[in-house]
Amino acid sequence: MSSLEADVLVIGGGSTGVGVARDAALRGFSTILVERRDLADGTTGRFHGLLHSGGRYAVKDPSAARECIVENRILRLTAADCVEDTGGLFVSTPWDDPEYGDLFLDGCRATGVPAEEIPVAEALRREPRVNPDIRRAFLVPDAALDPWKLVWGCARSAEEHGARILPYHKVLDLEVDGDRVVGAHVRSERSGEDVAIRATVVINAAGAWAGQIAKFAHCTVNVRAGMGLMIAMNHRLVHMCVNRCKRPADGDILLPLRTACVIGTTDVFVPDPDKTEIRQEDIDLLLDEGDKLVPGFRQARALHAWAGVRPLFEDTAVVAETRDVTRSHALLDHSTREGVAGFVTITGGKTTTFRLMAEAAVDAACEQLGGPRPCSTAEVPLAGSERHTLYQIGHRLAAREPVPQSEEIICECELITRARLEDTIKQRDTTSLDDIRRLLRLAMGPCQGGFCIYRATGILHQDGNVDREGANRTLLDFLEERWKGVHPILHGDQLRQARLDDWIFQGILDVEHLPV
Amino acid sequence: MNDFIRDSLDHCVKCTICETYCPVSQVTPLFPGPKYVGPQAERYRGAGLSSDASVDYCSGCGICTQVCPQDVKIAEINSRARAKLWEKRGVPLRNQMIARPTVIGRLGTPVAPLANWALHNRAVRAMVQSVVGIHRDAPMPSFAGKTFQRRSRSHHGPADAPAVVYFHGCGTNYYEPVLGEMVVAVLEHNGFQVIVPQQDCCGLPLQSNGNFPAARTYVRRLVGHLAPHARAGLPIVSNSTSCGLMLKREAHEILGIEDEDLKLVSESMYDVCEFLVRLHDRGALRTDFGSLPLTIPYHAPCQQRGHGIGKPALDLLALVPDLDMIELDADCCGIAGTYGLKKEKYEIAMAVGARLFTDIAATGSDLAACDSETCRWQIAHGTGVTAVHPIELLYRAYGLDGHTLDRLVTTGPHPARVAG
Amino acid sequence: MSYDTVVIGAGLAGLTAALRLTEQGQRVLVVARGVGATHLAPATVDVLGYLGENRIEDPASSVATLVASSGDHPYAHIAADQLATALNWFSARAGALGYVGGLERNLLLPTALGVPKPSALAPRTMSGGDLTAGGRFVFVGLKGFKDFHPTLIADNLAGARLPAPVAARALELELPPGRRVDMSGRVIAGQFDNERLSEWLIAALKDRVEPDERIGVPAVLGLRRADDTWRELETRLERTVFEVSTLPPSIPGIRLFDALASALRAGGTRMVLGVRAVGARTSDARIEAVDVANATGTVSHATDAVVLASGGFASGGLELDSFGATHETVFDLPLIGVPDTGRVRFAPAYFDAQPLSAAGVGIDDLLRPVDAKGHPVYANLHAAGAILGGAVPWKEKSGTGISVATGYAAAGAILAPATRAISEAMR
Repeated sequence: MSSLEADVLVIGGGSTGVGVARDAALRGFSTILVERRDLADGTTGRFHGLLHSGGRYAVKDPSAARECIVENRILRLTAADCVEDTGGLFVSTPWDDPEYGDLFLDGCRATGVPAEEIPVAEALRREPRVNPDIRRAFLVPDAALDPWKLVWGCARSAEEHGARILPYHKVLDLEVDGDRVVGAHVRSERSGEDVAIRATVVINAAGAWAGQIAKFAHCTVNVRAGMGLMIAMNHRLVHMCVNRCKRPADGDILLPLRTACVIGTTDVFVPDPDKTEIRQEDIDLLLDEGDKLVPGFRQARALHAWAGVRPLFEDTAVVAETRDVTRSHALLDHSTREGVAGFVTITGGKTTTFRLMAEAAVDAACEQLGGPRPCSTAEVPLAGSERHTLYQIGHRLAAREPVPQSEEIICECELITRARLEDTIKQRDTTSLDDIRRLLRLAMGPCQGGFCIYRATGILHQDGNVDREGANRTLLDFLEERWKGVHPILHGDQLRQARLDDWIFQGILDVEHLPV
Repeated sequence: MNDFIRDSLDHCVKCTICETYCPVSQVTPLFPGPKYVGPQAERYRGAGLSSDASVDYCSGCGICTQVCPQDVKIAEINSRARAKLWEKRGVPLRNQMIARPTVIGRLGTPVAPLANWALHNRAVRAMVQSVVGIHRDAPMPSFAGKTFQRRSRSHHGPADAPAVVYFHGCGTNYYEPVLGEMVVAVLEHNGFQVIVPQQDCCGLPLQSNGNFPAARTYVRRLVGHLAPHARAGLPIVSNSTSCGLMLKREAHEILGIEDEDLKLVSESMYDVCEFLVRLHDRGALRTDFGSLPLTIPYHAPCQQRGHGIGKPALDLLALVPDLDMIELDADCCGIAGTYGLKKEKYEIAMAVGARLFTDIAATGSDLAACDSETCRWQIAHGTGVTAVHPIELLYRAYGLDGHTLDRLVTTGPHPARVAG
Repeated sequence: MSYDTVVIGAGLAGLTAALRLTEQGQRVLVVARGVGATHLAPATVDVLGYLGENRIEDPASSVATLVASSGDHPYAHIAADQLATALNWFSARAGALGYVGGLERNLLLPTALGVPKPSALAPRTMSGGDLTAGGRFVFVGLKGFKDFHPTLIADNLAGARLPAPVAARALELELPPGRRVDMSGRVIAGQFDNERLSEWLIAALKDRVEPDERIGVPAVLGLRRADDTWRELETRLERTVFEVSTLPPSIPGIRLFDALASALRAGGTRMVLGVRAVGARTSDARIEAVDVANATGTVSHATDAVVLASGGFASGGLELDSFGATHETVFDLPLIGVPDTGRVRFAPAYFDAQPLSAAGVGIDDLLRPVDAKGHPVYANLHAAGAILGGAVPWKEKSGTGISVATGYAAAGAILAPATRAISEAMR
């Protein structure tokens, strides 16, 4: 068993975890982060990507709203490459009480969220697909966030300042010495090797799994997992983040996510965050709600469906619906709560406020690490965002313009070049197509890998990264992974695609009879 | 409001069939292919953004949409993307000019001999190429001097016969009025009274050069002239398969015009060969054809195939004794309306048409048949062979010219008079 | 215009039916939304490759086994000798492509992943890759053509289950300068046809291949001159050269389409693409005319018979809507292989048995779509190809076999004197 040592050990590789690692590293603490799977595999990688303006919470949860607008501004500055300035629209459909709009405006005013009512004709001009029968419309500065870019930007940033980021390292136990946590016992999923990590402060940023981690130190963190379903539609039916102007409920957000658009979400309590089953009634609900916002939604092509779990922390007794629990975050210093030193949990919250959460966590850690140090994450740009240029949807297309045909394109749906693929393979030092998929969006376009999976497998194998067994395994695993997200919403155009893909993989390539 | 053109990209399963048929991406890497610039790139076009200039190399032939097994409106998506591109950049003078055949027609017609001399003069063409950007060798037709509209005013057909409305288009009007006379003669021979309403350009060149607002104006003006006849239940025939397709479908699908009048006109519009075949189906076509002992290759223009009516020209010509039509299978002649006139696209257009030219030459025939005027001019330019509209063969076969085959009209620039 | 038969669909099944009818003197019209799966599928005729986990060596007897246990399978509706007749007919019609093989023994051809796959017939540009007798192979990739990975092919063949030992290696060639960096198979095929790319290939390979090696190249040897090019390569390299099918576009498939389309044209049959069959005018359980929608409206084509060859889900011949209902999209025919209660739920593992895999139209022995009681829905409507239910062709490797056999048989049913007499009597 090998051993590592650091000032700070962060558990959890979602936005909160990498945010903490980055913040700690920037403050000069030696930092290690462990994540049991790939970075952003938990909640962060599975949410819809809305960078809240706060409008959604302005009426019901004013403190969350205030935090959102502040962080929204900060992220546009420091994480520009991860943010697309889509703008946000709140609309009162015929199913919504138009008077809620007044509450909405009041709430925004009170919480500092800039909101402006615009004529319906203007809203429809900007978003021609939106229901023409909307009664009112409001503009807010919502934006679209790319969670993978965000998480990897933070991780790279942290590494640049000396942190060690260790995905595929699972916490088996926390090391407790008397009344303090002194580290963790971790296993590398890739090598099977165990690692003992010693740290002065352990920060539990494990999101919906924070309760499981806290148990290792005999502490209680009551995090409820609220499962939310999302469906990605094949192309941007809307270019702005479009919200229903009403009390937050299911299926009331439709927003762009790169080349697709996402409808979300639902809210179902699940006892185990690792067990999420997609129910047909939730899919129907989202499709129906989508149809209210965009008539003809059901006939549009649904690409992919997935469930994420939101971590909802509650310090008190049971509440009616997980949605009613505050979306503000919670910082738990276990030295004061349970008398266990060297252990801090940061949970709840949402990706929009990850930086604020990280700041709170590292501030708390400072108290056990020799005193306060200033936080600079509100000013220092992430790796990749130094030029403060906001992301634009047409970037990948424009990049190919000057010399068309100058590079081989491996994934045509997502315009991924061979050079980019090979760089990513090298950088991540991985042979899993699935890891590459998350970073590059390989096979995440309409054809869901029908063409690019064969090419990418061939490249992995040719470049010597995998042997035959490895190549075949990674291809077959990839097909299984893709299927998970596709089969719940397989109908219409996407079924046509899936059937063509069956013909390609089984009829033409005959993957079923690969030697494995 | 549904956008059924953009929404059709959802049907794309990336099968590559459109790419294998695209004649332009075959011959130049400057055009990444219809799948790329159509349903694929469209997902990257955000509100108001138009980032890909390579869409301008799409010739608009429409073959991609015809072969797509999934009903993706590829050519239409490309057309709209191109319009957005030019909207942002501003349409250059050259494109504005060649997109307005009636303007050119009106300017050139009164001074036809001089204009024709200039358009076929090497030095003038070289200058035109460097100043305006029209390739010096691009096939330009000759002004006829007296437009078809003017000629038709002095023509009086049978007054009490069933009527048909003739949409002749700019090509016939300014450059091939004799062809128009043949169309009228064939229709009258079959017992129709031919009404030639006042009419102007259908706007197709403006549309394909990305100037949608101007194109819409032209369409509406033309429809204004034709709609009253459509409302009266009269059929409208056209001998230009491109212009006919514009009114049948493209004005609605690409320009997005929803007017009731356009719909009426679309539903009443027939290609002239289509119209005559339907007559024949009812047993009402005169089949008193004389013998035309010729073997002639026939090329169906891309936009003729876009009508989805089969090849009525061949069905008609099969009725003519001793006439043997060879159905060619090459896809595109390359000219694509005004595309092949442009200096940066001329070579591409000629490369696209190369296979058709070779196939025509291989038949050894002096004549070829084709339903679109710009295609005929391109074919004549690329092969030296005279190209005629199928109607002209019917006209001859009916004996309406007094059986003088050697006065077969050259519809297009005489090969010897093409610049160079 | 009225027709003897209207064929809906321009895939292999539709073209087969149309050609057989055309050469028997019928007046035929083919209508299609676009070009069919010929352009996507390898141009081999796969009759039956797998029965469950068993790889089939002898399709003739395996088909007999299959139909004995599976009455719904399309092959079960074809007379025993018709399959052989259909294949012979097909080989003759695709004569210029030189199909080899037969029902007695499957060829074993490598896929672009290096998996040996059984096929009954293959064009001669591909048949040289038959792995059955074993031997030495070299697979040649072209830099800039990303749809062919010879190293993976060679490596996988080394681990494949094969009747005789195979030694395989890979070569990657750099194309001559001035070529595009990213080329589709279609573009490369064009370069073989028009730019004598074969000269370069011969020069590049001449000193790099072993005496007894068979040379496997991606299936891009050209469209119009592929056969000449292939012959030239074999002659001048003095070795067996064979094409290996890869991702779409299938260049050999396009050659097949062109050959059949050309034969249809020569026979005077019109093929109209870019239109949709949307329904029919019927009377007394007979179709009188097929309604076809085009640019401006719908045209009704009067006809004596109809062949529906519109393909399965991949072609839009079948459709599953967002409410979970399955439809046949032209005539709304009743279907088999569709779960009759509850919503369709796909199994969570990709390789598990999936619902709707064998969904499609059920037929009688005249290849006419039938209802739940087994009665033909229309007396003069026949169906062929992937629209038929009862088979999972991509798994059992029978797609093109079913297309040719049922296309041929559907035409046969229309031409048969009994059918014609009934048509006459009813008119």
